[in-house]
Amino acid sequence: MRSQDKYRIAVLAAYALALSGFESLLPTPIPWLRLGLANIITLVALMLYGFGTALNVTLIRVILASLFTGTFLGPAFILSFGGGILSTAAMGLTHRMFRNLFGPVGLSLVGAFFHNIAQLSLAYFLFIQRIEAILIISPVILFIGTLTGVANGIISDLLMKNILKNDHGEIQNISQA
Amino acid sequence: MKRIIKITTFADRLLFLILISASVTGIFYSREAVSQSSGVVIEVNGRPEFTFPLHTDRTVSVSGPCGNMLVEIRDGKVRVKEAHCPNQLCVKEGWISKGVIVCLPNKVVVFVGGGHDHGKDTDAVSG
Repeated sequence: MRSQDKYRIAVLAAYALALSGFESLLPTPIPWLRLGLANIITLVALMLYGFGTALNVTLIRVILASLFTGTFLGPAFILSFGGGILSTAAMGLTHRMFRNLFGPVGLSLVGAFFHNIAQLSLAYFLFIQRIEAILIISPVILFIGTLTGVANGIISDLLMKNILKNDHGEIQNISQA
Repeated sequence: MKRIIKITTFADRLLFLILISASVTGIFYSREAVSQSSGVVIEVNGRPEFTFPLHTDRTVSVSGPCGNMLVEIRDGKVRVKEAHCPNQLCVKEGWISKGVIVCLPNKVVVFVGGGHDHGKDTDAVSG
């Protein structure tokens, strides 16, 4: 791994951490509702710098965020870890297999969908074990996830175009500006 | 809005429509499925005395001609936990998640499932 890649991962992970911290401050109507803003960074990392960078950024973000909030290795950590890994893997696979088919919005939808699928299955197998409860809540979560997925996809597109326009794909210049 | 359409591909929009319609259908379907199924109706002397959802755990005391009996609802299943009838057939029937537990001496019938149309399929024996 080149030092420039490491630097890039560090900067992106810091952005993702900041976004997820910011998101946890926002009041939401439902306690478990998350906007998934950090996924914007994962998505941009994936589209600009490839799967390895995106996965690294996601792992660092999930682990550090849980350390900061004191939930490391707790239920919330397991849920966001599983969701982060599966959604990044799904987005990476989709990006590789259908590069010309899906734009950022489509990838973000794929990511949101698999994030929710991972969390629901983990919640079912590890914590709740009550299929009716999961079946009732699943469509609601998937619906909200689709809406936030679109919003994050649009933001990712704007951010990506900005990075490409201003810095010729070099995120390193952002921090210097 | 125009901008959003510009940055999305056809596959993006198709995926969005599929996810939205699937989840909306799911919301309505799951509500309906839950409200229709999984009810427990306890009849005493041919009259419905209690109706409970199957997914809430509880133990109910039902009093019939032979005295009290305990009906337990747990993990989506129902059983008669304790009864004071002589042959204890209802207790021996154990946990059910569907169908009927009948206690003839006590004139208690425990229905599980469907909900409201049990009166229609009562046959000569249980009626």
